[in-house]
Amino acid sequence: MMKQIQRDGLLFELIDEMKEQGSWCGETHIQKAAYFLEEMMGVPLDFRYVLYKHGPFSFDLSDELASMRADALLAWEIKPEPYGDGLKTTKGSTQLQTKIPRTMARYRPAISFVAQKFGKRGVKELEKISTALYVTKEMPGQDLTVRARRITELKPHISYDEAEKAVLFVDEMMEDAKTVIAGEVV
Amino acid sequence: MVKKNNHEVRDPIYAFVHMDSDERQVLNSAPVQRLRHIHQLALTYLVYPGATHRRFEHSLGVMELATRIYTTVMENRCTDTLDINGGYDRNYYLRVLRMASLVHDIGHAPFSHASEDLFPAGWDHEVMTLSLIESEEMERLWKRLKIQAEDVAKLALGPKHYTKDIFTTTEAILSEIITGDTFGADRMDYLLRDSHHTGVAYGRFDHYRLIETLQVLPKRYEDESMEPALGVESGGIQSAEALLLARYFMFSQLYFHPIRRIYDIHLKEFLQAWLEGGYFPTDLDDHLSLTDNEVMSAIGKASRDPRLPGHEAAERIVKRNHYRVLYTRNPNDVLKNREAGLAISTAACAEFGEENIRHDRPKKSAGRVMFPVLELDGRIVSSLSRSDTLQHIPEVAADTVYINPDLLDVGRKWLEKNRKRVIESAVEEESE
Repeated sequence: MMKQIQRDGLLFELIDEMKEQGSWCGETHIQKAAYFLEEMMGVPLDFRYVLYKHGPFSFDLSDELASMRADALLAWEIKPEPYGDGLKTTKGSTQLQTKIPRTMARYRPAISFVAQKFGKRGVKELEKISTALYVTKEMPGQDLTVRARRITELKPHISYDEAEKAVLFVDEMMEDAKTVIAGEVV
Repeated sequence: MVKKNNHEVRDPIYAFVHMDSDERQVLNSAPVQRLRHIHQLALTYLVYPGATHRRFEHSLGVMELATRIYTTVMENRCTDTLDINGGYDRNYYLRVLRMASLVHDIGHAPFSHASEDLFPAGWDHEVMTLSLIESEEMERLWKRLKIQAEDVAKLALGPKHYTKDIFTTTEAILSEIITGDTFGADRMDYLLRDSHHTGVAYGRFDHYRLIETLQVLPKRYEDESMEPALGVESGGIQSAEALLLARYFMFSQLYFHPIRRIYDIHLKEFLQAWLEGGYFPTDLDDHLSLTDNEVMSAIGKASRDPRLPGHEAAERIVKRNHYRVLYTRNPNDVLKNREAGLAISTAACAEFGEENIRHDRPKKSAGRVMFPVLELDGRIVSSLSRSDTLQHIPEVAADTVYINPDLLDVGRKWLEKNRKRVIESAVEEESE
């Protein structure tokens, strides 16, 4: 099991890389990216997710982000519209990352992969994609149609076409991820 | 003769809590009546003498507040983002919400959160609450009220703890009315009630104004998202600030008070020694038979008899000879080592023996300061962009090391000499 310092460092790296890719890193962005990091890329962050209003959501991760704010490792970043309010890393979190070089080296490819895929996507899109991964994990081996229908059952505001596109995106991303996952095992 | 169907209970916070005869049957059930004997704040009354209130009145208060929130939210009409359609039965869900509020705490073990860790693996007070909601006694009452146990459980526990089924958007919002981290009735009531009973005035806020301004609003400021959440009209922002400041002050002044916390630790030590196998029973009848009364009686006996299990912890509680604070969290230490308290505790255990040192690093739910605000011109904005105050409310954290009172002086000298070295040299290393 990962130690807290390792888990913290990886989350800070995820936030920094998402920002580099253009994300304003609201909690929803971090939640969805961390979900993919764990469920698709196999990074053992060990957060428990439930399907909530906006797709998979971890109350534990939410508490952890608050705890990081308490320890001055994360800070609010308030931006004018159309951006939402986000979180940013601090001097303290950058210092902490230097203490776990092996962990960072091992998981950085997975983090970069997720950040590249998610950095420019908005909240609505992330909801569809992360729900598609949730459904794919819930019903392994099911074809595209069945999974897309399941998404529309769970989230009636998502149309069938949108659901299908999200499932296709997840399937393609899973294929691409295989190379990254294989490369990071040392 | 006409039989009275509406009943009221006097309450120090809301004046009256109302219910009808069928709801009173739930109030009179064994699981809810047991809450008369579970202190809301465990042994806090040893520090704040007024804190003798119980989960029973808190549960009534949550039912009253949840009702007011539900009524306001429905009257404010901003329910477009919910999956409420022609089939939505407003009165059915009001009934479910009220009953879920009334029973949301029935799974608590004696002394509430203080002893939560003593449930066996796979159990906690939420699992116990679910078992009781689904029990035969309660099923009979739900049937009489024409509501489903599953719906009551969902709203009482919320999506974090009810994992048998996925929540619809409406169910998620309804459970947020009870369990929500920002505007949940549970939180509002415990702040107001704990403040009232302890005399810690910081917990008060204008809940009347706050509730008047509550709305279900889509978080449009997040990429035009339609995800609904409980938010406020712009006129309610100050009362929302007051609520979140109240939470900050109550955690820093009361809930994380170091002496209150060490009494929780001594209480847990006593229970571990006293309970069969060191854990609470999970059989429903056994759970219902065990309250603070039985535990306090056992503590009294054990404190007088060194041969009884848990004698030392019991004596510390009764004679107020609790462990003393050796180290408390310091922001500068956190920057050097996030687990500074653990480092001090580990080193102190090596120096003075594990039996003489206790470490406490309580976890708490995130205080969500971000919620939607409805502006006068109809725009929906984030609370953080609207309020400088909310941006600057800190999260509360505690990290405390305690020492046996007999070793306090020598412990303090040791810490003064070794503090810097221990904190800086004990930074956690990465594992493989």
